Amino acid sequence: MTIDKGNGAPIEFRLDAASGVPTYLQLVHQVEHALRLGYLKPGDQLPKVRDVVASLAINPNTVLKAYKELEVKGLAAGRPGQGTFVQATLSQVALPELTVLRRSLSGWLATADGAGLDENGIIALFTSALRDFYERRRESSTRGPASDGASDGAEGAA
Amino acid sequence: MNMIEASGLGKRYGSTWALRECTLAIPAGHVTALVGPNGAGKTTLLNLAVGLAEPSAGQVSVLGGRPAGSPAALDGIAFVAQDMPVYKNLSAADLLHLTRNLNRRFDRPYAEARLADLGIPLKRKAGRLSGGQQAQLALTLALARRPRLLVLDEPVAMLDPVARHDFMALVLTAMVDDGVSVVLSSHVLAELERVADYLVLLSHGRVQMTGEVEDLLATHRMLTGPAAEADRYTERPVVHAGRAEAQAHLLVRAGVDDPVPPGWEAHPVSLEELALAYLREPGAGARPGPARGRHAQPTGVTK
Amino acid sequence: MTALTVLGRPDQDARLRPVPWRRMAWVTWRQHRFALGGMAALLGGLALYLLLAGLHLHQAYAAATACRPVSSDVCAMMLSNINGPAAEIIAVLLQAVPAMIGAFVGGPVLARELETGTFRYAWTQGFGRWRWTLGKLVLLAITVTAAAGAFSVLFSWYYQPYLADGWQIPFGPLVFGLRGVAFAAWTLAAFAIAALAGMLIRRAVPAIAATLAVYTGLALAVDLNLRQHYITPLVTHSTNLPGSVWIIGHWYTKDGRLVSQSAISQELRGYHGASATRVGPNTVRTVVDPIQYLTQHGYMNWTSYQPASRFWPFQWIEGGWLLALSVLAIAATVWLVRRRAA
Repeated sequence: MTIDKGNGAPIEFRLDAASGVPTYLQLVHQVEHALRLGYLKPGDQLPKVRDVVASLAINPNTVLKAYKELEVKGLAAGRPGQGTFVQATLSQVALPELTVLRRSLSGWLATADGAGLDENGIIALFTSALRDFYERRRESSTRGPASDGASDGAEGAA
Repeated sequence: MNMIEASGLGKRYGSTWALRECTLAIPAGHVTALVGPNGAGKTTLLNLAVGLAEPSAGQVSVLGGRPAGSPAALDGIAFVAQDMPVYKNLSAADLLHLTRNLNRRFDRPYAEARLADLGIPLKRKAGRLSGGQQAQLALTLALARRPRLLVLDEPVAMLDPVARHDFMALVLTAMVDDGVSVVLSSHVLAELERVADYLVLLSHGRVQMTGEVEDLLATHRMLTGPAAEADRYTERPVVHAGRAEAQAHLLVRAGVDDPVPPGWEAHPVSLEELALAYLREPGAGARPGPARGRHAQPTGVTK
Repeated sequence: MTALTVLGRPDQDARLRPVPWRRMAWVTWRQHRFALGGMAALLGGLALYLLLAGLHLHQAYAAATACRPVSSDVCAMMLSNINGPAAEIIAVLLQAVPAMIGAFVGGPVLARELETGTFRYAWTQGFGRWRWTLGKLVLLAITVTAAAGAFSVLFSWYYQPYLADGWQIPFGPLVFGLRGVAFAAWTLAAFAIAALAGMLIRRAVPAIAATLAVYTGLALAVDLNLRQHYITPLVTHSTNLPGSVWIIGHWYTKDGRLVSQSAISQELRGYHGASATRVGPNTVRTVVDPIQYLTQHGYMNWTSYQPASRFWPFQWIEGGWLLALSVLAIAATVWLVRRRAA
């Protein structure tokens, strides 16, 4: 088994070609995930654009877009000539909150199951609602508070 | 600056038009995918751009207005044709020397370093290298010329997945290192989304669609809903409709903020789905969409 | 969306100096060294033979001419021994050499590139495709012409004794094209035709075959028909022409009108009848030349010929139009490359 010699950055990106999620978003999520789990700390350097491109064979503009997105979110900042560095951490959700959230989720699951939804039905419903939630949230964040006119008609039985 | 600009470009072989009324402007700093089925005119367009063929109609200029095939154009464009032609009886070292002699600019240390990285022996005849190695060799020769535009015709068609990955990695890191723009043609859609950020869709010798991938994906949605209502949908132009008994999928030109009819679901589209849908509808690209809302329309014909 | 900034490079494009012509030297050599090596081997082998045979021949000739007394049977035999069939055989074999060299060196230059697809590499390099073509063709043309020229000098030296003792004439159809400037010119022409054929046919082997066919046709046409007309032949009644002239035509007239060959044959039957008297112990047979016989009967004898002194003018004429043909063929090839390509 060979271990790839590290390129200096704490994390390395991977790509899930079949997931349907745009590439740049996958990179953004991986950074956020790494932050949450502690692989990345403020001050760490994100992988160099060239290294990401060389290992994943993706368009450099995609990596730039991902890093720009992280900048917009305030999670990273670019230093000219040096690279992109982690700036902040994600707000950690405190443990008691997590427990509360989990209990309410279990309740919802029991209701859905009682309504006749099977596992895949629950997953489909949840994924669709989740997607709509974040889409709406992204629109409202780019357009300001006067928007959010999207209808709720997006959920339908899968 | 536009890397390749064509206006009314056409090419005829005998009585057949391989390419007609082609008008496009491919911007710099992108990886442009030239997509279309076999026989769509991709190779013809590339041949015209690199000066291997003369137009039968219209004109084409490269690198910001230089005539295709002129010395200035040849100097700044490196072309790797389909099946990577290199002289099979020459060694890699010979080919380096050959390419050096035929160009004003050649970075030999770069080329040797690249070949060493790839494990390609300098003294072996090119014909005895594997297919992947020949492709890498052809690409190295092209990149060592330090071009501003790299043109690749079906570069990965005959490569195995590992070779394919390594090949594209080399191309894309050259983009990072040297600011090379890339135009590549492919009839394989699956892996394009990772690599391409500008799309030119060709079908039956005509340009169906061009645009930034990001824009194109942002201005198309897939609507899923009851088949019975599918015909009545008129809110947005429908590019392609796929129908089953109860359910229909409509690929429409609409943005994220366009309202979705009640009972319908909206999903983003993948580049592959988008390209396939347009290729199945030959008339689709040409129809100008109604300019409603703030979102950009995909341009069938660039202004 | 941020696109990668295209790195600014110092813009030298406004006044692009073209890639220097001398770069084609290595390119041409490396790509065609196999064909050139074959040519060198062929000419070298033949040259070796000519050298050895020539030395032997010259020695024998010197001995024969030094032989005394000159009119004795021994000396005459020495002289006639030199005139063996070797000269004819070698002259026949050498006819093929210009065609072979020209076809095999010139045919593949463009045809192989088009056949294998490597033109898509070669013609998109900075050098430019018509300059690439011109550079290659000119370099190769000069090389084959020079090699052929040197070879024909050696051949002329080898052949010298045959001409000196009158056994062969300078205008001999097999030999004219091997000496002077003709050999080099024919090689150049074959090369140029092959290059053009390669561009038109786009495949190496058919181009070589076509070149050999065209060359053969042209050579035959020149040998049998065209060459004699370069300068209007001299015409004479005399039957006493020097042995070195090139007899082109021979005919008779009577009373100013041309007499057909059949009429001559008929007339000559009378001659044979007259001389077919039975030879008895008392008859004296007078030997009468058929020409004298015809002249006595009122026929005028005409011979058209080219004197040996016209050898070099003819060489220049032949070399000249072959050169022009070659230049035309190469120019046409370059023009085609410039216009048509893919």
